[in-house]
Amino acid sequence: MRRGLIAWSKTELPEAALAGRVARTQAAMADAGLAALILYSNNTRPAAASWLCGFVPYWSEGIMVLPRVGEPYLVVALTKRVQTWIAATSRVAKVVSTGRFGLEAGKEILAAGGGTVGIADLDGFPSGIAAELRGTGLGLVDATPLFADLRSKADPAELALAARAAAIARVALAQASARHDESGMMIAAVEGEARARGAEECYVAAATDLAHDTRLKRHEGSSPLGRSYAVRATVAYKGSWVRATRTVFRATGGSAHIRQGAERFAAAVATLPHSSGFAGVRSWLVEGCRVAQPLEALAGSAVAEPRVLPPGGLVSVQACLDVDGEPIVLGAPALLGARGEPAALLLSPLYDEGG
Amino acid sequence: MLQDERRTRLANAMAQAGIDAVVVYGNAWQGDYLRYAADYGILEGHGIAVVTAGGACELFLDSAVEAERAEVETTGISIRLAPEIGRAVAARLDRIANHRIAVAPNRLLPNFLADPARGFRLEDGTALLDRLLMQKLPGELDALRRAAKMADEGYAVFRQAAIPGCRQYELCGTVETFLRGKGCPDNFMIVGSGGRDVLGMTPPSDRRIAPGDLVTTELTPAIDGYYAQICRTLVAGRATEAQRRAHALYLEALEAGIAAVKPGATAADVARAENDVFRKYGLGEYVTDRYTRVRGHGLGLFADSKPHILEDVTTVLEPGMALVVHPNTYHPEVGYMVLGDAVLVTETGAEVLIRTPRELFEREA
Repeated sequence: MRRGLIAWSKTELPEAALAGRVARTQAAMADAGLAALILYSNNTRPAAASWLCGFVPYWSEGIMVLPRVGEPYLVVALTKRVQTWIAATSRVAKVVSTGRFGLEAGKEILAAGGGTVGIADLDGFPSGIAAELRGTGLGLVDATPLFADLRSKADPAELALAARAAAIARVALAQASARHDESGMMIAAVEGEARARGAEECYVAAATDLAHDTRLKRHEGSSPLGRSYAVRATVAYKGSWVRATRTVFRATGGSAHIRQGAERFAAAVATLPHSSGFAGVRSWLVEGCRVAQPLEALAGSAVAEPRVLPPGGLVSVQACLDVDGEPIVLGAPALLGARGEPAALLLSPLYDEGG
Repeated sequence: MLQDERRTRLANAMAQAGIDAVVVYGNAWQGDYLRYAADYGILEGHGIAVVTAGGACELFLDSAVEAERAEVETTGISIRLAPEIGRAVAARLDRIANHRIAVAPNRLLPNFLADPARGFRLEDGTALLDRLLMQKLPGELDALRRAAKMADEGYAVFRQAAIPGCRQYELCGTVETFLRGKGCPDNFMIVGSGGRDVLGMTPPSDRRIAPGDLVTTELTPAIDGYYAQICRTLVAGRATEAQRRAHALYLEALEAGIAAVKPGATAADVARAENDVFRKYGLGEYVTDRYTRVRGHGLGLFADSKPHILEDVTTVLEPGMALVVHPNTYHPEVGYMVLGDAVLVTETGAEVLIRTPRELFEREA
């Protein structure tokens, strides 16, 4: 449940940026013959609705309805008392509070003339809400390809927010140091920095002893840190999500390994959308937002059926490499080339030694 | 191990109901059913556990980082990374399509799996899981006691940090930093600051605490997945007479609510006891849904568990249940005020878990 800063800054995300996304979506809806588009949102799948109207529920759930003509509106399970907060953080025409929001949304759409309703991520849409919508007599179709296509290329406003999220992640990860000797205080330092800088969300995961296990986990309690450890910060800032990961050597002599690993990592990222650069690494992962999940697995060593990486799309990349027998785990957000250019990292995976 | 006890209990409940398999859905908003079945605290994406008779559990996750995390954080279950999670689970259920399969929570199940065209039939097993979630094992109650201690400590940090000039999100960040440093991985927290202009609590904004503000919070840290809640109000500066008077009313309502907690009473009885205090002082309007959501709720693997404490909820309280009793609402003279304690239902009444005094705290710069 979110307890970071959820706010709509009209300087960072001008109304024109949201209005432009709405207009592009409505044009695609008209071409597809959709009367309305429905996007489900909860605090784990907020990215579709937030892209169009800024709405991020701190808990509970709701749906955003975009009619083919007019402004989007929200039908949510959050109570009426929270409507002022929703109105302050979202660009919507109205907010309807109800426990049965599938039913109410259906009534609203029918009152506006009905027609075919597209749902982005229909397969993952909660079945109870889908049943309520169908109960009103509306026909539902899957609008995932339509929405994913619109969403795939990052626009300037999204890039700017991602850059800010990446900057927060970087300064947060910089708090992890060789001086930390147990995970609890290290994780607190990383997460505390991200939240103090206005992160909407921050998940910190760590592999506390890379010589033993390179997999990253969320920590309950505290564990001693090994000779080298890895820490990952997943940071959301005003609806934009990035993941960044660094390796810290607590013993001297690790900086050369990290530098070499970072160079290999950046070179591999540059080859995206092809995966040839990752040949020989232990594991790798590319994530990005297609519909509602902020960071969805798109390609990687554990992804059996990779998706097409979108030209001009924002992704977060993570890899575990061996450098002279030392495991190095690194990760950073990146921008894919829009016309075949090499992808580029949004932040350097190198940090000051000891800091 | 607590997770083994829960799995055994689930397997027994399934056997008693004649259910061959349960499909348990979870996400970071509503993760309690999944945590119960798979002992995994999901953060991103969908998670679906398929538990078969005897307690064997397969956990499907559509996020690659979640799947990796689950491999390290869970024991005794099989982890499947499934970006197309509906299809992957459907393929699994096709293999047991001739068995009785239940699903919980039914309404959140991904649409693909609920499609009548699938070859398997899913029954609603939500009530079966709800019973297990509400009636807790001794180990679960112990986790709640430890979470309540963490809530007390977290609120002490909140009190120290809530000084005029501090932004709400900085205040919450300070509490989160403290909790992570104590090894507490999760917390549910909403706040408010201001006066009569504040109608409730939300996630933190960039509003700065001003002298004279009422600063409210529901702070709900989780230990081993179990959330315990404290609700308190402080004044940034010296409390006014009106604020003190109002707080005395909330204290009376909280005490009345806790006194009503006993085996055989209903959630409605607790709500009515709280609300009657407001009605006694002519403030009955302020216990309606125009000003307040619930008068408390269950606690456990979800911060807002069943039963909701409302005058129309007839759930009977039993020993082993955990609740927060909180007469939180708007007061027309001073604004939104909160006061609440986590409690356990015992054989004779209530065990109050929260130790922080039920005061209207004053915090001067």
